Amino acid sequence: MTLPTKPLPPAVQGSADGSSAPGVPFSEIETVRAKEFIPPAKEALRDVLARKGTDSLIQPVFNWAGRNSLFPLHWGLACCAIEFAAAFGARWDAERFGIVPRSSPRQCDLMIVNGTVTWKVAHKLITLYEQMPEPKWVIAMGNCATGGGPFRSAYSVVPGVDKLVPVDVYIAGCPPRPEAMLDGILRLEHLIQERRE
Amino acid sequence: MVTALPPNTLAETPDLLAVLRERFPQDVLETTRRPGLLGRVVLRPEAILPVCRYLRDEQTFAHCAMVGGVDWKETREVVYHLWSDERKGYLELSLRVPAEDPHVESVAGLWPGANWHEREAWDLLGIRFDHHPDLRRLFLPEGYEFHPLLKTFELHEPEPLEVKTRHE
Ligand code: SF4
Repeated sequence: MTLPTKPLPPAVQGSADGSSAPGVPFSEIETVRAKEFIPPAKEALRDVLARKGTDSLIQPVFNWAGRNSLFPLHWGLACCAIEFAAAFGARWDAERFGIVPRSSPRQCDLMIVNGTVTWKVAHKLITLYEQMPEPKWVIAMGNCATGGGPFRSAYSVVPGVDKLVPVDVYIAGCPPRPEAMLDGILRLEHLIQERRE
Repeated sequence: MVTALPPNTLAETPDLLAVLRERFPQDVLETTRRPGLLGRVVLRPEAILPVCRYLRDEQTFAHCAMVGGVDWKETREVVYHLWSDERKGYLELSLRVPAEDPHVESVAGLWPGANWHEREAWDLLGIRFDHHPDLRRLFLPEGYEFHPLLKTFELHEPEPLEVKTRHE
């Protein structure tokens, strides 16, 4: 007599989040032994810190973890900051995407510039950008951060934050609605997932 | 609930402008009545400190509401608005300095609130305030070349917008 055996759960297919990220299926990663896990992990970490794509075995895990816990440093310089604040209220609840605003640049990997950047604040913006650990991304939110907005020809306004730091995603609008901001962040997550630089 | 202000007894009597003309005959060049103000007084630039000290200590003008400037091309005008709680009104002081060397004595020692107003006038109109405790630019970064509210300052046309992400 044979005892009925409980069927094993099917192996998880695809990368960690079930999306079609390039790399190794997540099920294969689970079979890597702990000691074998260390060299590819180191390799992937080095590549991630160098902001370039990697062929390491666990790159999908890094991408998955990185893009699902974006911690923004937020530059509430003008009216767009109100929309940013609204996005974290009860109605839009941006924290369900793993976006948690932090108060220190050393804990952040995403800089959201929402507002009018003046020349007076420009070098402080660069300082805080440089204080953020790699890998890091920048979102220019609103017309002001994208290109100076209505104040483009003013004597005191930086015509676009891309004059100061490299920008990954631009969000248009004056101000963009919270949905637009969330859309921009989701697009950035898409870019990270595709390992594009 | 709206409470009525106490009757404005001091506003007219004694006539402030006449008192000032009498007290500083050399320094007060012109006095005019203006609607909404207790009056407008044009001064010699050198007289600003004694007149302001007198107004603050003996004429109840405890608050310097504004220091601003106007660019008249050959001259620059410096305008002060002083507020008196007792008189419930503003007094306007005005003086003109030559545009080649626009400088006037600072009143930040009398009203500390004038400190930033004078920094703003220096920043945007290039009027220097002598003996100011900390005359740095207020809105623009140190090292900015121009005083942008002057008539001679030219705005340049912005270059065409070119947006490029590092993913392209
Ligand atoms: S883009 Fe519009 S809403 Fe946003 S900071 Fe500029 S002026 Fe304000």
